[in-house]
Amino acid sequence: MDFLTSLKISSSALKANKKRMGAISSNIANAQVTRTPEGGPYRRKQAVFGSEPARENFAEILEGELNEKAQAVHADVISENNAPIMKYEPNHPDANEKGMVAYPNVNVMKEMADMISASRSYEANISAMNITKSMAMRALELGDN
Amino acid sequence: MKVNDKTMQALEASLKMREMRQEIISSNIANADTPNYKAKRVDFENALARAIDIDENQTMKSNNSKHFNVGGGGFDNLEPEIYEDPNDIVSEDGNTVDTEQEMAKMAQNKILYDATVKLMKKKLGLLKYAISAEK
Repeated sequence: MDFLTSLKISSSALKANKKRMGAISSNIANAQVTRTPEGGPYRRKQAVFGSEPARENFAEILEGELNEKAQAVHADVISENNAPIMKYEPNHPDANEKGMVAYPNVNVMKEMADMISASRSYEANISAMNITKSMAMRALELGDN
Repeated sequence: MKVNDKTMQALEASLKMREMRQEIISSNIANADTPNYKAKRVDFENALARAIDIDENQTMKSNNSKHFNVGGGGFDNLEPEIYEDPNDIVSEDGNTVDTEQEMAKMAQNKILYDATVKLMKKKLGLLKYAISAEK
Protein backbone atom coordinates (compact mmCIF):
# COMPACT_ATOMS: atom_id res chain seq x y z
CA MET A 1 0.00 0.00 0.00
CA ASP A 2 2.16 2.84 -1.20
CA PHE A 3 3.14 4.83 -4.23
CA LEU A 4 5.10 1.89 -5.59
CA THR A 5 1.82 0.00 -6.00
CA SER A 6 0.38 2.93 -7.97
CA LEU A 7 3.45 2.93 -10.20
CA LYS A 8 3.17 -0.84 -10.62
CA ILE A 9 -0.46 -0.52 -11.68
CA SER A 10 0.29 2.26 -14.19
CA SER A 11 3.24 0.35 -15.63
CA SER A 12 1.09 -2.76 -16.05
CA ALA A 13 -1.26 -0.63 -18.16
CA LEU A 14 1.66 0.69 -20.24
CA LYS A 15 2.75 -2.88 -20.89
CA ALA A 16 -0.77 -3.97 -21.81
CA ASN A 17 -1.22 -1.06 -24.21
CA LYS A 18 2.14 -1.77 -25.83
CA LYS A 19 1.01 -5.33 -26.44
CA ARG A 20 -2.25 -4.00 -27.89
CA MET A 21 -0.25 -1.66 -30.14
CA GLY A 22 1.81 -4.65 -31.28
CA ALA A 23 -1.32 -6.57 -32.26
CA ILE A 24 -2.68 -3.52 -34.14
CA SER A 25 0.57 -2.94 -36.10
CA SER A 26 0.65 -6.62 -36.95
CA ASN A 27 -2.93 -6.38 -38.24
CA ILE A 28 -2.22 -3.33 -40.41
CA ALA A 29 1.04 -4.78 -41.74
CA ASN A 30 -0.59 -8.09 -42.61
CA ALA A 31 -3.89 -6.75 -43.95
CA GLN A 32 -3.24 -8.19 -47.42
CA VAL A 33 -1.41 -11.39 -46.49
CA THR A 34 -2.94 -14.46 -48.11
CA ARG A 35 -0.43 -17.09 -47.04
CA THR A 36 1.01 -17.75 -43.58
CA PRO A 37 3.22 -20.54 -42.16
CA GLU A 38 0.09 -22.00 -40.50
CA GLY A 39 -1.66 -21.99 -43.88
CA GLY A 40 -4.53 -19.82 -45.08
CA PRO A 41 -4.75 -16.04 -44.87
CA TYR A 42 -3.52 -13.98 -41.91
CA ARG A 43 -5.89 -14.05 -38.96
CA ARG A 44 -6.62 -10.78 -37.20
CA LYS A 45 -4.98 -10.50 -33.77
CA GLN A 46 -6.76 -8.94 -30.86
CA ALA A 47 -5.51 -7.87 -27.42
CA VAL A 48 -7.93 -8.90 -24.69
CA PHE A 49 -7.63 -6.89 -21.47
CA GLY A 50 -8.29 -8.32 -18.05
CA SER A 51 -7.78 -6.92 -14.56
CA GLU A 52 -5.97 -8.67 -11.76
CA PRO A 53 -5.15 -7.69 -8.17
CA ALA A 54 -1.90 -5.74 -7.97
CA ARG A 55 -0.06 -8.26 -5.84
CA GLU A 56 3.32 -9.86 -6.18
CA ASN A 57 4.44 -11.69 -3.09
CA PHE A 58 2.82 -13.55 -0.24
CA ALA A 59 2.99 -10.61 2.17
CA GLU A 60 1.00 -8.49 -0.25
CA ILE A 61 -1.56 -11.23 -0.70
CA LEU A 62 -1.97 -11.40 3.08
CA GLU A 63 -2.25 -7.64 3.36
CA GLY A 64 -5.93 -7.68 2.63
CA GLU A 65 -8.84 -6.02 1.04
CA LEU A 66 -7.54 -2.85 -0.58
CA ASN A 67 -5.04 -4.69 -2.71
CA GLU A 68 -7.99 -6.63 -4.06
CA LYS A 69 -9.57 -3.35 -5.05
CA ALA A 70 -6.67 -1.57 -6.70
CA GLN A 71 -6.26 -3.64 -9.81
CA ALA A 72 -3.50 -3.93 -12.38
CA VAL A 73 -4.24 -4.84 -15.97
CA HIS A 74 -2.82 -7.48 -18.29
CA ALA A 75 -3.35 -8.20 -21.97
CA ASP A 76 -3.52 -11.49 -23.84
CA VAL A 77 -3.19 -11.48 -27.61
CA ILE A 78 -5.50 -13.91 -29.37
CA SER A 79 -6.03 -14.69 -33.05
CA GLU A 80 -9.59 -14.24 -34.23
CA ASN A 81 -11.43 -16.91 -36.16
CA ASN A 82 -13.45 -14.61 -38.41
CA ALA A 83 -14.33 -15.85 -41.87
CA PRO A 84 -11.87 -14.44 -44.45
CA ILE A 85 -13.01 -11.98 -47.11
CA MET A 86 -13.27 -13.79 -50.47
CA LYS A 87 -12.24 -11.89 -53.59
CA TYR A 88 -12.46 -13.11 -57.20
CA GLU A 89 -8.86 -13.05 -58.53
CA PRO A 90 -8.38 -16.11 -60.76
CA ASN A 91 -4.76 -15.25 -61.65
CA HIS A 92 -3.63 -15.06 -58.02
CA PRO A 93 -1.36 -17.97 -56.99
CA ASP A 94 -3.43 -18.53 -53.83
CA ALA A 95 -6.77 -18.65 -55.68
CA ASN A 96 -8.92 -21.75 -55.12
CA GLU A 97 -10.53 -23.78 -57.91
CA LYS A 98 -13.35 -21.22 -58.23
CA GLY A 99 -10.80 -18.40 -58.64
CA MET A 100 -11.53 -16.95 -55.19
CA VAL A 101 -8.72 -15.67 -52.94
CA ALA A 102 -9.14 -15.57 -49.15
CA TYR A 103 -8.01 -12.21 -47.71
CA PRO A 104 -7.64 -11.47 -43.99
CA ASN A 105 -10.72 -10.02 -42.30
CA VAL A 106 -8.91 -6.82 -41.29
CA ASN A 107 -10.52 -3.39 -41.44
CA VAL A 108 -7.63 -0.93 -41.59
CA MET A 109 -9.86 2.02 -40.60
CA LYS A 110 -10.89 0.20 -37.46
CA GLU A 111 -7.28 -0.64 -36.67
CA MET A 112 -6.26 3.00 -37.04
CA ALA A 113 -9.05 4.11 -34.71
CA ASP A 114 -8.00 1.42 -32.24
CA MET A 115 -4.42 2.62 -32.48
CA ILE A 116 -5.39 6.17 -31.53
CA SER A 117 -7.34 4.81 -28.58
CA ALA A 118 -4.34 2.72 -27.46
CA SER A 119 -2.03 5.69 -27.80
CA ARG A 120 -4.35 7.89 -25.69
CA SER A 121 -4.58 5.22 -23.00
CA TYR A 122 -0.80 5.00 -22.97
CA GLU A 123 -0.51 8.77 -22.55
CA ALA A 124 -3.10 8.82 -19.76
CA ASN A 125 -1.13 6.21 -17.85
CA ILE A 126 2.14 8.10 -18.39
CA SER A 127 0.52 11.23 -16.89
CA ALA A 128 -0.80 9.18 -13.99
CA MET A 129 2.70 7.85 -13.40
CA ASN A 130 4.21 11.35 -13.50
CA ILE A 131 1.66 12.62 -10.98
CA THR A 132 2.37 9.69 -8.66
CA LYS A 133 6.10 10.30 -8.99
CA SER A 134 5.83 13.99 -8.15
CA MET A 135 3.66 13.18 -5.11
CA ALA A 136 6.31 10.75 -3.86
CA MET A 137 9.02 13.38 -4.39
CA ARG A 138 6.90 15.93 -2.53
CA ALA A 139 6.68 13.60 0.44
CA LEU A 140 10.48 13.43 0.50
CA GLU A 141 10.57 17.22 0.95
CA LEU A 142 9.35 16.69 4.51
CA GLY A 143 12.92 15.87 5.41
CA ASP A 144 14.28 19.22 4.13
CA ASN A 145 13.23 21.22 7.17
CA MET B 1 3.91 21.35 22.85
CA LYS B 2 3.34 17.77 21.88
CA VAL B 3 5.08 16.82 18.64
CA ASN B 4 2.57 14.19 17.60
CA ASP B 5 -0.57 16.21 18.37
CA LYS B 6 -3.98 16.03 16.77
CA THR B 7 -2.99 18.21 13.80
CA MET B 8 0.02 16.05 13.02
CA GLN B 9 -2.05 12.89 13.32
CA ALA B 10 -4.72 14.32 11.05
CA LEU B 11 -2.17 15.38 8.43
CA GLU B 12 -0.53 11.98 8.59
CA ALA B 13 -3.85 10.19 8.18
CA SER B 14 -4.74 12.49 5.31
CA LEU B 15 -1.49 11.72 3.48
CA LYS B 16 -2.05 8.01 3.95
CA MET B 17 -5.60 8.21 2.61
CA ARG B 18 -4.54 10.28 -0.40
CA GLU B 19 -1.89 7.71 -1.23
CA MET B 20 -4.65 5.11 -1.14
CA ARG B 21 -6.85 7.25 -3.38
CA GLN B 22 -3.96 7.72 -5.80
CA GLU B 23 -3.67 3.97 -6.02
CA ILE B 24 -7.37 3.48 -6.72
CA ILE B 25 -7.38 6.22 -9.40
CA SER B 26 -4.28 4.67 -11.01
CA SER B 27 -6.14 1.39 -11.06
CA ASN B 28 -9.15 3.03 -12.72
CA ILE B 29 -7.04 4.68 -15.42
CA ALA B 30 -5.05 1.49 -16.01
CA ASN B 31 -8.28 -0.44 -16.50
CA ALA B 32 -9.99 2.13 -18.73
CA ASP B 33 -10.13 -0.44 -21.56
CA THR B 34 -10.78 -3.57 -19.52
CA PRO B 35 -14.18 -5.12 -20.24
CA ASN B 36 -16.51 -5.28 -17.22
CA TYR B 37 -14.18 -3.26 -14.98
CA LYS B 38 -16.13 -0.94 -12.66
CA ALA B 39 -14.66 2.41 -11.59
CA LYS B 40 -13.86 2.55 -7.87
CA ARG B 41 -13.94 5.39 -5.37
CA VAL B 42 -12.31 5.95 -1.98
CA ASP B 43 -14.24 7.92 0.59
CA PHE B 44 -12.26 8.90 3.66
CA GLU B 45 -13.35 12.49 4.32
CA ASN B 46 -16.20 11.52 6.65
CA ALA B 47 -14.11 9.05 8.60
CA LEU B 48 -11.32 11.63 8.93
CA ALA B 49 -13.74 14.33 10.08
CA ARG B 50 -15.07 11.92 12.69
CA ALA B 51 -11.53 11.14 13.85
CA ILE B 52 -10.50 14.81 14.05
CA ASP B 53 -13.78 15.68 15.78
CA ILE B 54 -13.21 19.44 15.97
CA ASP B 55 -16.47 20.34 17.72
CA GLU B 56 -16.16 17.28 19.98
CA ASN B 57 -19.76 16.34 19.34
CA GLN B 58 -18.98 13.07 17.66
CA THR B 59 -17.36 11.18 20.50
CA MET B 60 -19.13 9.95 23.58
CA LYS B 61 -17.89 11.67 26.70
CA SER B 62 -15.99 9.41 29.04
CA ASN B 63 -15.04 10.17 32.60
CA ASN B 64 -12.86 7.14 33.11
CA SER B 65 -9.71 6.31 31.20
CA LYS B 66 -10.82 2.66 31.05
CA HIS B 67 -13.86 3.54 28.92
CA PHE B 68 -13.76 2.45 25.33
CA ASN B 69 -13.45 5.16 22.69
CA VAL B 70 -16.86 5.03 20.97
CA GLY B 71 -17.90 7.01 17.91
CA GLY B 72 -14.76 8.98 17.09
CA GLY B 73 -12.64 5.92 16.66
CA GLY B 74 -9.43 7.90 16.69
CA PHE B 75 -6.79 7.88 13.99
CA ASP B 76 -5.56 4.37 14.57
CA ASN B 77 -8.52 2.54 13.13
CA LEU B 78 -9.46 4.96 10.39
CA GLU B 79 -11.18 2.92 7.70
CA PRO B 80 -11.79 4.42 4.26
CA GLU B 81 -14.77 3.26 2.26
CA ILE B 82 -13.99 1.77 -1.11
CA TYR B 83 -16.93 1.21 -3.41
CA GLU B 84 -17.83 0.93 -7.06
CA ASP B 85 -18.95 4.26 -8.47
CA PRO B 86 -22.73 3.91 -8.91
CA ASN B 87 -23.25 7.08 -10.99
CA ASP B 88 -21.22 6.29 -14.05
CA ILE B 89 -22.46 5.48 -17.51
CA VAL B 90 -21.79 1.91 -18.57
CA SER B 91 -20.17 1.57 -21.99
CA GLU B 92 -21.03 -1.36 -24.24
CA ASP B 93 -18.26 -3.58 -22.85
CA GLY B 94 -19.49 -3.07 -19.27
CA ASN B 95 -16.68 -0.67 -18.32
CA THR B 96 -17.59 2.39 -16.23
CA VAL B 97 -14.29 4.34 -16.29
CA ASP B 98 -14.37 7.94 -17.51
CA THR B 99 -10.67 8.67 -18.11
CA GLU B 100 -11.07 12.48 -18.16
CA GLN B 101 -12.91 12.42 -14.85
CA GLU B 102 -10.25 10.18 -13.36
CA MET B 103 -7.47 12.51 -14.53
CA ALA B 104 -9.30 15.46 -12.97
CA LYS B 105 -9.71 13.57 -9.71
CA MET B 106 -6.06 12.61 -9.78
CA ALA B 107 -4.99 16.23 -10.31
CA GLN B 108 -7.19 17.30 -7.41
CA ASN B 109 -5.77 14.54 -5.24
CA LYS B 110 -2.22 15.60 -6.08
CA ILE B 111 -2.88 19.26 -5.26
CA LEU B 112 -4.43 18.39 -1.91
CA TYR B 113 -1.60 15.97 -1.18
CA ASP B 114 0.95 18.69 -1.90
CA ALA B 115 -1.00 21.10 0.29
CA THR B 116 -1.02 18.58 3.12
CA VAL B 117 2.74 18.05 2.82
CA LYS B 118 3.21 21.81 2.87
CA LEU B 119 1.12 22.11 6.04
CA MET B 120 3.16 19.36 7.64
CA LYS B 121 6.39 21.18 6.71
CA LYS B 122 5.05 24.39 8.24
CA LYS B 123 4.13 22.54 11.39
CA LEU B 124 7.60 21.02 11.64
CA GLY B 125 9.08 24.44 10.86
CA LEU B 126 7.23 25.93 13.82
CA LEU B 127 8.65 23.23 16.04
CA LYS B 128 12.13 23.94 14.75
CA TYR B 129 11.62 27.64 15.37
CA ALA B 130 10.54 26.89 18.93
CA ILE B 131 13.65 24.78 19.49
CA SER B 132 16.07 27.34 18.09
CA ALA B 133 14.38 30.54 19.31
CA GLU B 134 17.02 31.49 21.85
CA LYS B 135 19.28 33.40 19.44
